[in-house]
Amino acid sequence: MSKPSDLVQGTLDMLLLKFLALEPMNGFAVSQRLKQVSGDVLQVSDGSLYPALHKLEQEGWITAEWKTSEYGRRAKYYSLTRLGRRQLEKEADNWGRLSSAISRVIKLKEA
Amino acid sequence: MRHEHWLFTIPLRLRSLFRWAQADQELDDELRDHLERKTEEYVAQGMTQEEAHRRARLDLGGIEQTKEKCRDARRVNWIQDLIKDLRYGLRMLRQNPGFTAAAVLAIALGIGINVGIFSVLNGLALRLLPVPRAEQVVSVEQIFHGKFLRNAVNGGSLSSYSEYLNYRDNDHVLSGLLAYEPFVHATLGGGKMRELLGATTSCNYFDVLNEHPSQGRGFVASDCAAPGENPVAVISDELWRGAFAGDPSLVGKRIILNRTEYTVVGIAPQGFQGTEPIPSSFWAPITMQTVLEPGSDRLTADNLGWLALLGRVRPGVTMEQVRSDLGVIAGQMDQLHPGRKTSLAIRRATFLDRQMEREHLIPAASVILTVFGLVLLVACANVANLLLARASVRHKEIALRLSIGASRWRLVRQLLAESLLLSLIGGALGSVLAFWSFTGITRLVISHSPIPVAFNVTPDFRVLTYALALTLITGIAFGLIPALQSSRLDLNTALKEDGAHSGSGKRSGRFLRNALVGTQVAVCMVLLLGAGLLLRGLYQAQTVDPGFEIKGVATTVLNLMEQGYDENRAGAFVRELREQIARLPGVTDVAQAECAPLSHDFRGGLFTAPGRPDKVWAYYDHVSPEYFSLVGIPIVRGRGFLPGETRDAPGVIVTEATARRLWPGEDPLGKTLREGLPGSQTANAPLRGREYTVIGVAKDAQVAHLGELNEPYLYFPAGPQDNLRIYILVRYAGGFPPIAKGIREAVQSLDKDMPVDVTRLEDYLEAWRMPSRIVAALSGALGALALILASIGVYGVVSYSVSRCVREIGIRMALGADNREIMNLVLSQSMRPVLIGGLVGVAGCAAVSQVLSSVLFGASAHDPIAFISVPVFLLVVALLASYIPARRAMRVDPVVALRYE
Repeated sequence: MSKPSDLVQGTLDMLLLKFLALEPMNGFAVSQRLKQVSGDVLQVSDGSLYPALHKLEQEGWITAEWKTSEYGRRAKYYSLTRLGRRQLEKEADNWGRLSSAISRVIKLKEA
Repeated sequence: MRHEHWLFTIPLRLRSLFRWAQADQELDDELRDHLERKTEEYVAQGMTQEEAHRRARLDLGGIEQTKEKCRDARRVNWIQDLIKDLRYGLRMLRQNPGFTAAAVLAIALGIGINVGIFSVLNGLALRLLPVPRAEQVVSVEQIFHGKFLRNAVNGGSLSSYSEYLNYRDNDHVLSGLLAYEPFVHATLGGGKMRELLGATTSCNYFDVLNEHPSQGRGFVASDCAAPGENPVAVISDELWRGAFAGDPSLVGKRIILNRTEYTVVGIAPQGFQGTEPIPSSFWAPITMQTVLEPGSDRLTADNLGWLALLGRVRPGVTMEQVRSDLGVIAGQMDQLHPGRKTSLAIRRATFLDRQMEREHLIPAASVILTVFGLVLLVACANVANLLLARASVRHKEIALRLSIGASRWRLVRQLLAESLLLSLIGGALGSVLAFWSFTGITRLVISHSPIPVAFNVTPDFRVLTYALALTLITGIAFGLIPALQSSRLDLNTALKEDGAHSGSGKRSGRFLRNALVGTQVAVCMVLLLGAGLLLRGLYQAQTVDPGFEIKGVATTVLNLMEQGYDENRAGAFVRELREQIARLPGVTDVAQAECAPLSHDFRGGLFTAPGRPDKVWAYYDHVSPEYFSLVGIPIVRGRGFLPGETRDAPGVIVTEATARRLWPGEDPLGKTLREGLPGSQTANAPLRGREYTVIGVAKDAQVAHLGELNEPYLYFPAGPQDNLRIYILVRYAGGFPPIAKGIREAVQSLDKDMPVDVTRLEDYLEAWRMPSRIVAALSGALGALALILASIGVYGVVSYSVSRCVREIGIRMALGADNREIMNLVLSQSMRPVLIGGLVGVAGCAAVSQVLSSVLFGASAHDPIAFISVPVFLLVVALLASYIPARRAMRVDPVVALRYE
């Protein structure tokens, strides 16, 4: 089992939800986008990506649809559901609070 | 929100459940698409096709693993697992038809009898009244607290008429409240003589119950306008068909009940039996009570509880509101009675509502359910043992599954699913059998019962729920331990060696099996000992010497008051009757008594001896002077009663036991005895507060309760008022039938409408034996069932351990052990749990057998004959059950055994 190292537990879900909130896309595009946006900091292997997407789908946060892409290829496109949007808001909220709390701690001046 | 979430995901879960093939195909397509794109990307970066493909696959971290993880992510978890487990379990069960049949049969028996007995209890006490919209109907009872004395007929929680009117007129929560007096006895006259039980009811009875007569009408308010003025009646469909041959013009005609003519105004709908478990044959307005039951005027008695109340709750009103609203009325009435404090018991109406009845029912029901549950326990232990034995055969399979990565919990679930499957099949089979057979069994028991009860035992929602719950609990009960046990494996040894020759199994497994056998034997011992004790009690009852001459006495009970006689007419009737009977050929003696010996007719009260602190509860009887010689109770000191002594005479005859109790070591003659406690009163206590002088001492005899020789008993002389309800006792020589015929004819020559039933005094014994006969039959049947199950259990365990010991036995034989030694080895191993379980059972039974003492009729609760013969019998059966497989051990050929495998 390869866990996304360097990734705070649970944040992968949030990132995926966020990407899909921008536009519906297929799994390959999600993996590309992850790499592009975060550089090499967030290393999510393809092997972890798909199970994560399937889990989100199972939770009802995203839904999948088979579409024909621009190159005439059939691919599975994921998009955010209403529930997913709510979940994203919740998680982003949590994240915001958590990260600002942590950064406040880190920025404490040493005596 | 959580809710919504669930709703939303259900279709998805179902989709992956039912269309997993398609979902799997889609997963395949998706990953292939990803790989292709990734490969293209790598190729674009300058790799060779082959290299790029390899890198893409590497990135994905193994296609099969990723797929499995995806499947895990979208698994419908337990539903899917359960279905898979059940399917697998079904396959396993089908592969072992012998095991499956044995287990299913044991469970079916265990669950079947439990569901059956529950459906009886349900029909009796849990089912709502069989009236339209029964969930609205509540029973209302008054429970009194504090220092307050209350007169009661048919139970202390019933209401008086004025209390009923108070509730009816002042409540705000009921659409109607009815009252009725249950169990009103009446004789149907007019040449159709029949003894009937019916009820007097308030005139809204049929309206509140919403049961409208199929012919004619129910009661209307004017029927209850004035006491004694409206002789009208509604009769049951059964009576109409039975006594009046379904006469289509009966409504409007007159019938005679207890010598009074009543106009039939309606015939109750078919199947309507009133609101008591004993069906009513007729209903009369409550205002006719005094006419129907001459000699008592209950309508005006404000402190007499005699009416059961049923109300129909208005729609939308909760039980809480009903309680508080009626509670206010009860509180207001308490104000009028100093010292009285009433709490109301209000519950949805069933056939058995009254506090008194429930106080008896609940302990009885819990004992019954426990005893039946014990048999189920034996069945469970049996199946658990079978499963344990089989689990060791499945060692290899389980070890293999553990070693390729199944979690232990997953395996336990798998094994539990199998046992649940077993219990579901067994439970379904057992329930069907129970539904099918218990209706018939109940009908049979009722038809032999002295009380004509009628209730519905057909299964309803509650019974089905009970059956299902019991089935699930059973499945877990017998499945859990074997499942936990067999999933706890040392993989190395289990896979390497074959298990078959690892001695006689692992220690813990063997301990469990032995513990289960021990439990079975213990439970079986308790049930059989119970049955044995009851049989001893029955034997005792057959052969008991009640202390008087019970044979050769005919008896008849006459209720002249009910037939409208007053004291003068009754006196003349009895005098004339006794003369006629005395002239019958073969009659040697005639006496009269208020209660015949052992007739289940009791009078009793508290007595004190002046100068002594203790109060004694004593039963008493009012008898004529001839009584003592007729029933053969000698007067050991002092004198008997003289002709002409009446209730006004100051003399009392006590029994030896009474004398021992009140005046130990003193001469009782001339001592005084006071009836009742200062300030106490009961409904029918005509002796209240009077003092009596002891004029004689009678020998002890079991006249009140069979088997009770030492209870205090008093005899008073009978007076003219005793003629109103009287037992005539006739001692005769020769055959009973001509005497019975003579007595009947004598009664009817004096009054052709007088109901008369002549029995032999010794026939009363049968009524005493009935309860223990029923309980003995029941516990004997259950014990036999448990015995069969337990001996199958012993047999199974022994033959299993013999088959596992073949090699050990072979070695011993090769080293020179002979048959006897082998037999001893096997038997001593197998009998140890039996002996321990048996001892526990004997000890357990000895500890609780005291509860049976009331039906043992003097046999000891630790009766040595029962306590020796039953264990010996059980041991012999267990020995036999282990001897048969043990014999196989002796036939082991060492050469074959050592080569075995």
